[in-house]
Amino acid sequence: MTRLSGHDEGEISRILSREEEILPSSGFAISVMDAVRREAAAPPPIPFPWKRALPGLVVGGFALALVFLTLVVAIAQLLRASTSAHFSMSLPSVLTPIFGLGLQRNLEIAASWTVLALLVAFVSVKLSMRLASGRV
Amino acid sequence: MSASDDQTDVERVLAGDISAFEGIVRRWQGPLVNLAYRFCRDRGRAEEMAQEAFLRAYRALGQWRKDAVFSTWLFALATNLYRSELRRIPARIVSVSLEDIAEPADARASDGGLEDHDRDLAVRRAVGALPAKYREALILFYFHDMDVTTAARSLGLPEGTVKARLFRGREILRSKLPQLLAVPRLKEA
Repeated sequence: MTRLSGHDEGEISRILSREEEILPSSGFAISVMDAVRREAAAPPPIPFPWKRALPGLVVGGFALALVFLTLVVAIAQLLRASTSAHFSMSLPSVLTPIFGLGLQRNLEIAASWTVLALLVAFVSVKLSMRLASGRV
Repeated sequence: MSASDDQTDVERVLAGDISAFEGIVRRWQGPLVNLAYRFCRDRGRAEEMAQEAFLRAYRALGQWRKDAVFSTWLFALATNLYRSELRRIPARIVSVSLEDIAEPADARASDGGLEDHDRDLAVRRAVGALPAKYREALILFYFHDMDVTTAARSLGLPEGTVKARLFRGREILRSKLPQLLAVPRLKEA
């Protein structure tokens, strides 16, 4: 005797419910327990040295804030300059310190920025070395 | 499998007796390996994923709040891991496009019916090629003996979402396998 199978959905359900079961290999539980014991025996992870990193983070944050502030001021000055009637005739005020003054003055400004950059680099290198050697 | 056995073993492990975790592994190794196998269709990889799930469970044992049954927590953790593993490295069966799921080469047996094996294989391949959200809902639903509530807990989704995904998943399957499913299957009674 023969009979017809059911509806599509029933057919999908029948096939997916009739999933073959697999057995874990004989050594599976032992291998898991070995991994668990290794995990338990491993030293706890080293916590992040917040105390040592804090000065660096503060300096970094301050520097970022300074850069952001400088950018905002520069953009604001540029916008103000662009809206002024004399924009096409003269240099924007933000560029005046660079191009509007004499060469001597420009060099002085560049030198002071270079000294400042070197100072920041020196401080950050010293701080990193102190952090690495654990003397903070 | 008794929930109190799980609770006792968990308490022992948390008190420092690591060997008590073996009871948990022995009780749940079958279900966890089988669930992984349904995701990846690769026996070796299924065991690797199940082992990683047990390791994660061991690490997070203290986070199990006893308001949920241990198995629910364990399945949710394992499901989460299997899903992210499959996103990282898709299973070979999953990487086949739905458009590439062909009807079985010899779809009709000599008596006009479809070979069970070929039909089952084609449906499973089609499930494997579904978009992840429908595939996962279908896998969990059938793994948990068609219990939407448990499937939803394992997936960490509302029941309504799982129901909608099951419906849509089946719709896609039906549209991709019309010939396969429409042909009446002759079966010895």
